Amino acid sequence: MTLTYYLVLAAILFTIGAVGVLVRRNAIVVFMCVELMLNSVNLTLVTFARATGTIDGQIMAFFVMVVAAAEVVVGLAIIMSIYRTRRSASVDDANLLKY
Amino acid sequence: MIEAPDLSLAALAPLLFVFGAACIGVLVEAFWPRESRHPVQVTVALVGTLGALVTTLLLTVDFEREITAAGALAVDGPALFLQATIAGLGALSLLLFAERALDPARSAFVVSAAVPAGSPRDRELLTVQRVQTEVYPLATFAIGGMMLFVAANDLLIMFVALEVLSLPLYLISGLARRRRLLSQEAAVKYFLLGAFASAFFLYGLALVYGATGSVRLGDIRSASLAGGTDVLLVLGLALLVVGLLFKASVAPFHTWTPDVYQGAPTPVTAFMAACTKVAAFGAILRLLYVAFGTAEWTWRPLVYAVAIVSMVVGAVLGLTQTDLKRMLAYSSIAHAGFLLTGVIGLGAAGDGSGLAATMFYLLTYGLTTLGAFAVLTLVRDGDGEATHLSQWAGLASRSPLVAAVMTLFLLALAGIPLTAGFTGKFAVFRAAIEEGAWPLALVALLASAVAAFFYLRVIVLMYFSPPAGAERGQGPTVGVPGMPTTIVLAITATATLALGIVPGSVLDLAERAAIFVG
Amino acid sequence: MLSNYVPIVGLFALAAAFAIFSVTAAPYVGPRRYNRAKLAAYECGIEPVDQPLTGGRFPIKYYLTAMLFIVFDIEIVFLYPWAVHNEALGVFGLVEMVVFIVTVFIAYAYVWRRGGLEWD
Repeated sequence: MTLTYYLVLAAILFTIGAVGVLVRRNAIVVFMCVELMLNSVNLTLVTFARATGTIDGQIMAFFVMVVAAAEVVVGLAIIMSIYRTRRSASVDDANLLKY
Repeated sequence: MIEAPDLSLAALAPLLFVFGAACIGVLVEAFWPRESRHPVQVTVALVGTLGALVTTLLLTVDFEREITAAGALAVDGPALFLQATIAGLGALSLLLFAERALDPARSAFVVSAAVPAGSPRDRELLTVQRVQTEVYPLATFAIGGMMLFVAANDLLIMFVALEVLSLPLYLISGLARRRRLLSQEAAVKYFLLGAFASAFFLYGLALVYGATGSVRLGDIRSASLAGGTDVLLVLGLALLVVGLLFKASVAPFHTWTPDVYQGAPTPVTAFMAACTKVAAFGAILRLLYVAFGTAEWTWRPLVYAVAIVSMVVGAVLGLTQTDLKRMLAYSSIAHAGFLLTGVIGLGAAGDGSGLAATMFYLLTYGLTTLGAFAVLTLVRDGDGEATHLSQWAGLASRSPLVAAVMTLFLLALAGIPLTAGFTGKFAVFRAAIEEGAWPLALVALLASAVAAFFYLRVIVLMYFSPPAGAERGQGPTVGVPGMPTTIVLAITATATLALGIVPGSVLDLAERAAIFVG
Repeated sequence: MLSNYVPIVGLFALAAAFAIFSVTAAPYVGPRRYNRAKLAAYECGIEPVDQPLTGGRFPIKYYLTAMLFIVFDIEIVFLYPWAVHNEALGVFGLVEMVVFIVTVFIAYAYVWRRGGLEWD
């Protein structure tokens, strides 16, 4: 069952992305890791579409791509606005809000 | 030839109303002259949300449960009840957005979000009386997303709705006029964590699709009945629930909540606290009950555990807060735990009273918390809202009315009898006990007692402490609200009292509505 | 079987012939006028410059254009399946696509009116 390899690859990519979100410090890189997670989901969806013989998975991958693009635009706009004030995109520098 | 899907336009009318208003809002933003744009935007947004409210209510007249739009959308009692709740609370939040009498610069939102905070141009714009009008279409899109979220009968639609409601929220939480860095920081945190959580939701969706071959909630239900539950399905369910619990700000997925609630402009915080909570719990109820109601053993321990964690974290950490917005954020985390008590009360066969109780609790909590945040916008100092606890000391002597209204909301949040909070809490705890989850109800009672302490502390501070900064003559001022905030306060306060004293008819309505389709 | 591919081979040959013809013919038939632009590394796009005063970053306008491009470009993925299956989807598909494109155009009108498409 060769499809398993794709699923395992997607799971590994998802994990790399999740770990990246947790350990990286630059907001842009964190964001790229989130995108990696979304794309690993796309791989999973397409693989399952093949495995279950339904077309839904491929359609869903389209939706995920579009949503990811919208998320990129919103996210970059937010990160850019804070970067222009602070000259830094490190999530460690964002420390005004705590108790 | 592919058959065109059945599309019940009547059932879609509330959603079309809101999204139509949002699109018109975008066009107004593009073509209407800037000087007179604000009243037009407010009107468009209010017509959209109130129109959605009215159409939802019209749908309840001789309605029958149905699944429309090729199985993507469920029109049933819970969907309509929660859609009406979201539309109503959303309209009230929009009124808070439109308040122009409180801030000297006439708006709580930054004029131009693209100007770097603290730059000369930014200082120049701070006192300009121009107002930000893009928040209205954004908020309307968010309301539309929420209304779609609670009616989604398909995991993909649920995901798209989740993003439609989240993306505008990320943006508007970064648009505060004052303390802009705080606000932008809140937006970054909310965005990064929100995107992280939606990635989890999405991976859960993919796994469930792999396990069952479909993302329709009904199909998932029958697939899990037929083929038993395999690892893939359980794992997928866990990831889906994590994504939703994040949006509902349930501990341990709550870390963004205090920061975002504090940093976002207060009207936006009110909007998030009231409407997002309703939407997220609506989706949780539908997912757990319609798709996984038959595989109930898979999620019950998980929900049981996070309910306890959430109540304890919210109540205990709420005690240590010195900022009112942060305190209300922890209160919202504790309330998410109480709401999960109601979710547990759904019952194995789905015949428990948990669904009706949770929906009623969502309504009361939304109204109360919206009112509490509306009061927060009134008390101000030179740099915007005065949210530090010490600044609220002796408020009753300065403004008895504001203190009295705030006391009402705090008592309701604490769950004192004769307020809406009590009836809501009573309903969810009873539902949990009926399902045999009395240990959970016990923890919930203890957590309520602890949480009551920090609400009462604010009341004591307002009534029995010497006024803050009185001797130096620099205490916070209590602003005179304009028409919009007055309407919000009047409606929320009346509803909080009315739902506490005569909850019968609304509880009945929730009970009659409490049947899912699918 | 393989004969099905003959037109494709023909197309390749035609394309190659046209390319070779263009490249060889150009020096003989075209006028030769040298100027500085001809010697630049790229004929279009951003000039390669060494560290400018602003810290070696592209102007913010560039990001704006890129972001607008992403968000509008990706909508194509919804048009593609419809275009492939246009006939089977019938009138309903057409109506849905028109609604979809109208909403995209609303966003486009917003970007255009708010000056998102102006470079300076």
